[in-house]
Amino acid sequence: MKDAPAAKQGVQPRHRVYRAPTFMPLWALIGGAAVIAVIGTYPYYGSNAYVLSLLGKFLCFAIFALSIDLIWGFTGILSLGQAVYFGIGAYFVALSLKINYAMTHPTRYGGNFPDFMEWNGLTELPGFMTPLISTPFAVLCALVVPTLLALLFGVITFKRHIYGVYCAVITLAQSLILQDFIIEYQAYTGGFNGITDYSNYATPAFLWVILAVVVVFFVAARALTHSRVGTVLKSIRDNDVRAEFMGYNVANYRIFVFCASAFMAAAAGALYAAWVGIVSFLDAGPVFSIEGVIWTAVGGRGTIIGPFIGAFLVKGAEFFLSGVLASWWQIIVGGLFIFVVLVMRDGIVGTIGNWLRKRKKGATLHQIMEDSDQKAHDRQLDWQPGGPPPMDEPVR
Amino acid sequence: MLQSIITQFLSGFSVVAILVIAALGLAIIFGVAGVINMAHGELIMVGAYTAAVVGKLGGNTFLAIPVAFIVVGLLGLIIERGVIQWIYDRPLETLLATWGVGIILQVVIKLIFGPELYYVGAPKILEGGFRVIGRLPFPWYRLFLIVMALLLLLLVFYVIFKTDFGLKVRAVRRNRAISGCLGIDTARIDMTIFAFGSGLAGIAGAVLAPIKSVSTAMGFPYAVDSYMVLVLGGVGSLWGVLTGGALIGEAETILSFIFNNVIGRLLVFLFIVIIIRIVPRGIFGYSERR
Repeated sequence: MKDAPAAKQGVQPRHRVYRAPTFMPLWALIGGAAVIAVIGTYPYYGSNAYVLSLLGKFLCFAIFALSIDLIWGFTGILSLGQAVYFGIGAYFVALSLKINYAMTHPTRYGGNFPDFMEWNGLTELPGFMTPLISTPFAVLCALVVPTLLALLFGVITFKRHIYGVYCAVITLAQSLILQDFIIEYQAYTGGFNGITDYSNYATPAFLWVILAVVVVFFVAARALTHSRVGTVLKSIRDNDVRAEFMGYNVANYRIFVFCASAFMAAAAGALYAAWVGIVSFLDAGPVFSIEGVIWTAVGGRGTIIGPFIGAFLVKGAEFFLSGVLASWWQIIVGGLFIFVVLVMRDGIVGTIGNWLRKRKKGATLHQIMEDSDQKAHDRQLDWQPGGPPPMDEPVR
Repeated sequence: MLQSIITQFLSGFSVVAILVIAALGLAIIFGVAGVINMAHGELIMVGAYTAAVVGKLGGNTFLAIPVAFIVVGLLGLIIERGVIQWIYDRPLETLLATWGVGIILQVVIKLIFGPELYYVGAPKILEGGFRVIGRLPFPWYRLFLIVMALLLLLLVFYVIFKTDFGLKVRAVRRNRAISGCLGIDTARIDMTIFAFGSGLAGIAGAVLAPIKSVSTAMGFPYAVDSYMVLVLGGVGSLWGVLTGGALIGEAETILSFIFNNVIGRLLVFLFIVIIIRIVPRGIFGYSERR
């Protein structure tokens, strides 16, 4: 950002030289290709089916974390109910696969509809579920329904300037209620046990499908955040009032990015259900939502690659360490929340980025971002920077 | 039908009382210190375990209340000094940090007390019930909860509006910078308020222990309910706590009776969303001029 290259040539430019950021730098392309190659060819050099299943899972989690990053890291909306969209997507696909599986595999009592429905006293597939026999239709539902729900949520809240803490609390409650709903209506959702025992697609070919979707979403997210719209989104995150004064319809931008993110989360859920072969209420609950937030925070919010790294690191560590450490692992997770907030605010990617920038003695972009970020957070509670507003007088 | 709805309405009062008791501590911490304390549920849980220990040692709820206030208040003090004092300026991130604190508290309590459920009995004189209307008796302990909620509300009103400390709290709440200039130690006020709010959460735990089985996971639903009360009633207003608690408690009881638990909760949630769609800052929230 400084005039270092020009100074070398002995010419002092009068203005800072502006170089448009390249869409994707060479090292990112090469690194990305290498990661894709390592994951994509795993079925050829690795034989561990467990690791293979973990890879597919983690890729789905990475998409989920990216969807959170898009709204939280880039637009400043903290949702604690993103798993609602993930869960609905997953349940549509799982239900459809289960129904299809049951038609060829009769239950113990000879029924050709999902066994959990039989256990709960249904005698045939309920009428409103018959369209789900068609898997393409179920996939369509899995993608469209969550997006529409997000649209509804956005229109209700963002249009009325409800965001920040209020948004976080409402989304949290939403996710808690969906979880209760799934447990209560077990005849239709499998209840506490979730939906299990259907033919899932744990094949190398499907791993490549997931990988392709991951690549598409990451490139799309990169394109979105580096476009004009992305700039507006970041400005909303940093100072939404100013963005509004400049003539942008802040609510509509928020709704748009919330829907896009719900779409992503739903796609992740649909892939997850098809890959893993078990879906339960936990995949729609608040704990999973907040887990996604912590992956994003650890990896580095406001970066595209951060969620990917965060999901792989935290989830990977959990799979390999939780067995050894038992409940101490939970304490590590709790400590991680505190550590990320107190010490490593920019996550892994952000911290490395800051360090590189410092070495180059360039502008510390993140410091600037942090400052305005902080002001934006202050504003989100509608409080003056130094403290809360008067009890009964409007804030000037 | 009408009679059963009236019965439900009356038993709804105790739900309201529970909500108010649980939300009071949060209202103070959230409203004055501006911290989104996600560990609130776990503080309630620690209060309930304190009551369980007091019960084991031969005490009853009346003894457990002050003990829980002190124990959980001190715990809140430690949390404030250890974590929260560095992040007052980033409200949304206090949410994440306190969530982490909550996880740690749950695991530590589980390591100490084991995974089994604890049952705490109500004090002898509060056993049984009296009949108001219909056949079902109204338990004395529920009446005690209602009285307790009113007493706690009065206590908080007294502390905030009648004491020297409360005056400073209100000053800091109105204008932190100017209060600091006038010689009020604002950091100390924040610290005290956090400890006080935590202590109230402890009381909530001690009072709720006899009507719930005490487990490490018992707190979280209370925390979410408390936040809904605050969102509906308006942040930072004690009247808001009472109104929000009353609306949510009664609506949930009656709707759960007419339909079922889940539908009741869902309808209450939709009701809250509609209300804050109309008044975005809650019923008693201040209006904001942009």
